[in-house]
Amino acid sequence: MAKKSVWSDNRFWQRSAAWITGFASVLLIWLTFDTTAQISMGTDSDIQNGVTKRVPGPTVINYKITYEMNKKRQHEIPVIGGANADGTSSFQEKEKFFGRDDWSEEEATALLHLGKLGSQVKNCMNCHTLLGNGAYYAPDLTKAWLDPAWGPEGSMQAMTGKNTKEEAMAEFLQNPSQYPTHERMMPNLGITAEEAKGLVAFLKHMSTIDTNGFPRNFGKIQGAVNGK
Amino acid sequence: MNAMFEPFVDVVPSFFATLSQGPLTLTIFLHTIIVLPMIWIYRQEKARLEQEG
Repeated sequence: MAKKSVWSDNRFWQRSAAWITGFASVLLIWLTFDTTAQISMGTDSDIQNGVTKRVPGPTVINYKITYEMNKKRQHEIPVIGGANADGTSSFQEKEKFFGRDDWSEEEATALLHLGKLGSQVKNCMNCHTLLGNGAYYAPDLTKAWLDPAWGPEGSMQAMTGKNTKEEAMAEFLQNPSQYPTHERMMPNLGITAEEAKGLVAFLKHMSTIDTNGFPRNFGKIQGAVNGK
Repeated sequence: MNAMFEPFVDVVPSFFATLSQGPLTLTIFLHTIIVLPMIWIYRQEKARLEQEG
């Protein structure tokens, strides 16, 4: 009888497949928990204690948010409340949001929750992209809060007749079809004043999420690589 | 920049972050955990077949 080859032996392949399937399962379960830890929202005390979380707590809406190139990471990172010497968030500089910079954790959570539900009810993702999910029919909203068009030098405050970024955004959201922003104008979705406030809080919070530089070369961000 | 080994820059250092630091890291890891055990299994099966044969 000819000598049997290991390569044509069923047991060798069965054991190899069992090993790879088993190990991959363990790895994927571990990856699930690792991801859960990384995307869990931080708290107000994290912000108070200067702890940088990938997804900061809701009270981040009380702080000034910028987006700055980080030399070490070679892409932009959200900087909350001004930067430390190494370019990370210092959580010092506050910024009024609808006239207040003392939103409590409960109030900010409720506002963000309203905004999140609002974004789902009005189906923003049908046209926009949020954190990589959605469409590119309308502008990417992941870092919309940082778009200088809404800032003091941008056109949106003058167009909506408001003096702050959040009020201009809220006004636009309530009457989007009044303002010529884009060739593909946003339709009126019947967003109420309170919903608009929530949506703007949702957008401000979303801009503070560390997305590893995504969206890449989103040119409308002040200070971004190839920024306009 | 663009060196074979790049500094570890993830926000939260984790095992999975080390795997995605560069093109080689995941490759080396997967070859280690797939190919090395298969060589071991191969040797065991070869020994078994020789014993049976």
